[in-house]
Amino acid sequence: MQIDSIPRLTVGCRLHPTEDLLLVPEGALQLGGPAKDILAMVDGKRTVAMIADALLAQYDGAERQEVLEDVVALLERMQQRGAIRS
Amino acid sequence: METISKEYLLTQPSSFIAEVTHRCPLHCLYCSNPIELKRSEGELATEDWVRVFKQGAELGMLHLHLTGGEPLARPDLAQLIAAGRGAGLYVNMITSGIGLTEKRLAELVDAGLEHLQLSFQDVEEASANHIAGTRAHAHKLTLIPVIRKFPIALTLNLVVHRQNIDRLERFIEMAEEFAPERLEIAHVQYYGWALKNRGLLMPTQEQVERSVAIVEAAKARNQARNHGGIKIESVFPDYFGSYPKACVGGWGRQMMLIDPIGQAMPCHAAAVIPGMSFDNVREHSLSWIWKESAAFNRFRGDAWMSETCKSCPRKERDFGGCRCQAFQLTGDAEAIDPVCVLSPDHGMLAQLRSATEESLPMWRG
Ligand SMILES: C[S@@+](CC[C@H](N)C(=O)[O-])C[C@H]1O[C@@H](n2cnc3c(N)ncnc32)[C@H](O)[C@@H]1O
Ligand code: SF4
Ligand code: SF4
Repeated sequence: MQIDSIPRLTVGCRLHPTEDLLLVPEGALQLGGPAKDILAMVDGKRTVAMIADALLAQYDGAERQEVLEDVVALLERMQQRGAIRS
Repeated sequence: METISKEYLLTQPSSFIAEVTHRCPLHCLYCSNPIELKRSEGELATEDWVRVFKQGAELGMLHLHLTGGEPLARPDLAQLIAAGRGAGLYVNMITSGIGLTEKRLAELVDAGLEHLQLSFQDVEEASANHIAGTRAHAHKLTLIPVIRKFPIALTLNLVVHRQNIDRLERFIEMAEEFAPERLEIAHVQYYGWALKNRGLLMPTQEQVERSVAIVEAAKARNQARNHGGIKIESVFPDYFGSYPKACVGGWGRQMMLIDPIGQAMPCHAAAVIPGMSFDNVREHSLSWIWKESAAFNRFRGDAWMSETCKSCPRKERDFGGCRCQAFQLTGDAEAIDPVCVLSPDHGMLAQLRSATEESLPMWRG
C-alpha cells in the first residue's frame, strides 16, 4: 500500500451501522481505536494520504508521519484478510 | 464442581440460519436436510419471517443466511431479503442456483442481498448431475458470469466425498478461474440424507490425506497472491480426526436455525436426538427461545458432560463436540463425541471408515 494508493472495501464487506465492526461474508472484524473512522473514509476515491490528512484534522496534536503509518498498517492488515483491495 | 450461573453461560447469538423452505429441485445424495422434509403448507408466512428477522437483529445477530431447501423456491424471497437488510442484518443466500436468472438476481440485489453462496456437486458434469439427481451443473456454470455483474460477494461451495474427491484438484482449478471472493471445500457431514448414503460417500484414508494436501496447497498459493487471492475455507472430514469439532460453535452459543415451519433449533440435525422438542417462533420471541427454551439450554455449559470431558481443558474449545453425532453413533446424546480419542467408542470410527461398500444411492426426496 502506497500513500497514493486508492483503497476500497472488497465487495461484500461493509461497516456495521452502529457497532465497531466490519461485516464480511462469513464473519465480522472487531475494530478498535480509529479503525472505524479510517474505514468509513475508504470509498474508492480517496487516497491513503487524503484519508490520513482527514484523520489528522480530527485528532489534533498527532504527527502526520505517524498517522500515515497507522493508516497504512491498518489497511494492509485488512488487505491481508481480504477486506480491502487497492 | 462449581455451579455455573445461567447468565454466565449465555452468549450472544451471531448467526441466523433461516431455512425458508425445504422444497428443492435437486436431490443431492449428501443433503443434510432431515429425512422428513417439511411440507410447503406449513411454511412460515412472509410476515412471520419479517418479525423474526427483526427480533434476531435485536438479539445482536449479525448475519442472516437464507437457505433451505432452495430459497429461490420462495416467491417472496426479495421481500425476505429486504426485511433482513431493513432489520440491520448482513444478508447471505445459499443456493443451488436453480431458479436464478439475471432478472431475478437484479431484484434480490436491489432488495439488499450482499453475498451469494453457490454450491457445486463436482467439476465433471455427468458426475455432478448424478450426485444432484438432476441436470443442474451446466446452468450453474452459466450463472457465474451473470452473478459477477452484480456488486455482491460470491462464495463457491463444494461438498467433498468419495464420489467426487478424486477430482478435487480440478474443481479448485476451475473455481480459481472464476475468482470468487471465497471458496468453501467442505467434507461431507453425515446428517440427514448423507447418513443414509454414508457407505457411498465415505472416502478412504488415502483420499482424505490427498485432499488435505490439495486444499493446503491451494490456500498457500492464494495467500501468496496479493490481489485477487481467494479466501479458501475447508471443513475437515468427520470420522478422520482425533478431536471433535466445536460443532455449531458450541450448543446454544452462536447460532440459531429456524426451520421452514418456524421451529427454532440449536443445530440443523438436533431433531435426531430423542426427546428434543423445539419451540416455535409463532408462539415465542427469539429472545425467550434463546434464553429460556429447553432445547437451547439442553447442552449449554458442562453439567451434562461425562467426567472425562468435564475435567478436560479442551472443553473450552470444542464444548464437548457434536451431540447429534454422539447420539447417532452411540445411541446416547450425552456420550463423548466418538471422534475424540478419549471416547471409549472411538474405535468404531476405524470400522466406519473402511465401510466403503457400494450401497445403492438414495436421493433426497
Ligand atoms: C442444505 S444446503 C441448502 C441451500 C441450497 N439448496 C444449496 O445446496 O446450496 C446448504 C449448504 O449446505 C451444504 N451441505 C448440504 N449437505 C451437506 C452435508 N451433508 N455436509 C456438509 N455440507 C452440506 C450445501 O452444499 C450448501 O452449501
Ligand atoms: S444440498 Fe442439494 S438437495 Fe439439499 S437443499 Fe441443497 S440443492 Fe437441495
Ligand atoms: S474429552 Fe471431551 S472435551 Fe476433551 S477433547 Fe474429548 S470431547 Fe473434547
